[in-house]
Amino acid sequence: MIVFKPLAARAAPIQSTGLIGWMRLNLFSNIINSVVTLLIAGLLLMTLPDLIDWLFIKATYTGESQDVCNPDGACWVFVNAWSKQFFYGSYPLESLWRINLSLFVLFVVVAGSNFLPKNLRYPITVPALLFMPFIGLALIDGRLFGLEYVATDYWGGFSLNVLLAAASIIVSFPLSFLWVLGRQSNMPFIKTVCVILIEFFRGVPVLALFFMGSVMLPLFFAQGINIDKLIRVWIVLVLFMSGYMAEVFRGGFQAVPAGQYEAADSLGLSYWHKTLLILLPQVIKVAMPNILATFVMLFKNTTFLLIIGIFEMLATVQTALSNSNWLGGHATEGYLFVGFIFWICCFSMSMMSSSIEKKLNKSNV
Amino acid sequence: MKFSTILTGGLTLCLAIGAQAATLDDVKNRGMVSCGVSTGLAGFSQKDENGMWSGLDVDVCRAVAAAVLGDDTKVQYKPLTAKERFTALQSGEIDLLSRNTTWTHTRDTSLGLNFAGVNYYDGQGFMVSKKIGVTTALELDGAAVCIQAGTTSELNLADYFRENKLSYTAITFDTADQTRAGFESGRCDVLTSDQSQLYAIRIGLKNPADALVLPEVISKEPLGPVVRQGDDEWFNITRWSLMAMVEAEFLAVDSSNVDNAMKNGSPSQKRLLGSEGDAGDKLGLDANWAYNIVKLVGNYGESFERNVGMDSPLKIARGQNAQWNNGGLMYSAPIR
Repeated sequence: MIVFKPLAARAAPIQSTGLIGWMRLNLFSNIINSVVTLLIAGLLLMTLPDLIDWLFIKATYTGESQDVCNPDGACWVFVNAWSKQFFYGSYPLESLWRINLSLFVLFVVVAGSNFLPKNLRYPITVPALLFMPFIGLALIDGRLFGLEYVATDYWGGFSLNVLLAAASIIVSFPLSFLWVLGRQSNMPFIKTVCVILIEFFRGVPVLALFFMGSVMLPLFFAQGINIDKLIRVWIVLVLFMSGYMAEVFRGGFQAVPAGQYEAADSLGLSYWHKTLLILLPQVIKVAMPNILATFVMLFKNTTFLLIIGIFEMLATVQTALSNSNWLGGHATEGYLFVGFIFWICCFSMSMMSSSIEKKLNKSNV
Repeated sequence: MKFSTILTGGLTLCLAIGAQAATLDDVKNRGMVSCGVSTGLAGFSQKDENGMWSGLDVDVCRAVAAAVLGDDTKVQYKPLTAKERFTALQSGEIDLLSRNTTWTHTRDTSLGLNFAGVNYYDGQGFMVSKKIGVTTALELDGAAVCIQAGTTSELNLADYFRENKLSYTAITFDTADQTRAGFESGRCDVLTSDQSQLYAIRIGLKNPADALVLPEVISKEPLGPVVRQGDDEWFNITRWSLMAMVEAEFLAVDSSNVDNAMKNGSPSQKRLLGSEGDAGDKLGLDANWAYNIVKLVGNYGESFERNVGMDSPLKIARGQNAQWNNGGLMYSAPIR
């Protein structure tokens, strides 16, 4: 007689969804992973509570001088008191709107290129981008618009980093494109000049270039001719950036299939038609990730200007640290703040670049 | 080495020829004195939260502006790094360099520059923690010394200890911040650097009162304003603007009693302040050049106490920078 014997219930399957499943899959998938996970967790447990304690809990946020600061916590009073210097330098308070307006216009132009309908994008944003740095700098300088003149000695802080980077990137874009066309040209003189330019500015460390701009260059001008230091380093930044961008573009040119060149030639297009209408759009599409990475690099490079005494953000922090009323050793707070601000900017730039890449990939299909 | 000598020589030659322009006229036309300062050195040239410059070196810029233009705010401050400072002066970007620059023979003779005087006598000194109970550097036998690598302090230290037949262990650090951290954590008993730096480092300690700056000064670092060679008129103005501050202190004229001294003072006070004699005229300036300096900037003692002395966080003692009749080195030639 057959007796119904229920089988013993099987154990539930190992959970593969939810938090525990995710942890099992990613953190404890084998012995080595588990050990590393435990080690890192231990390290975090050892450092994190003290760090949070110092950063937030024992920190002092408001006050007038460093005397109110708790010595066991971060002294954000320091950052607070110097925040105007950190962002705007010594620019006159009543004229700050000029910097803000320039930054806003820059933002609008960049955002506009993303959101405008396709048929308006090129006729509006390309000229806007090309003229924006000059209009912005003229506005901050003030003389051209009949505003109060503010010498470059008063410019500084984070806004200087942003505007310098933007002005260099925008100018170096067309310049580097010309260099790379020259490099690929079959006219020997132009080709040689472009190769030398590109290789020089790529091969020499940017610090050496800055020193040349700030220390050597003035010696070669005639007595009484003084080109402003900021303009000198801006030119250095443009040239340095162009060297790098030219190589990025060259990579883009080489990635365009030879058939495209041949097709354009067989249609009887002129050199400039071929370059601007057939090749450039494809080159930019291919080179976009590298172009954006180079932008981020240049933006971070603007902090190197501190070693030649230009009051960009990092230099302003160092100046603040050497003020005799703030000699309490606030270096950690200051540098953390700079790091945080730059991280936010660079991170949002890379988010933006990945969204642009996605867009470009979609239109490829 | 050869190449750099030729380069420097060539540059000096070009500059010596080019530097005949009358700086005074340029400054008057511009209405501003362009003054090279540091990018931030506590008490000497420092920026505050509002972007205003102050400091002992900055006061020299202000004094020259007050003497020439009658307004101590007419100064364009050009922050310069140590490497740029001489080029900026040579190329005419600045009229005057007042940036804690040590007066040495080489700099004075081979760079096409002239030092207009000394506004701070600095020198290398020692800071010890009070715990070890040392009161003079001669008791430092066998000490561990914190020092910043690659500075002349390293060489001076070696010389000093060898001369006095003392032994020591040098512990070198790369930056001033690391040096301070090393001293604070007790890795060394002594920290050595320029005296003005020692006081700045001391404030940064957790307990400044635990550290003591020893009286010995083992090197000479006279700091002063610098001008281009070949423009004697401007050189005189800079030199005498500084002298006027020192002389005003010697004659007990300060910013509060200057008006009274001008009317009712002693003959030498009156000569300084321009109510007698023609000291200003001989410099190509107004008669009240020195009055403006004292009124707007103050005398040397006021400037010292306000920026680095007892009225400032640095609390540097006058020491070598006292007037000569108080045992210091500050001495002005008479204004006659």
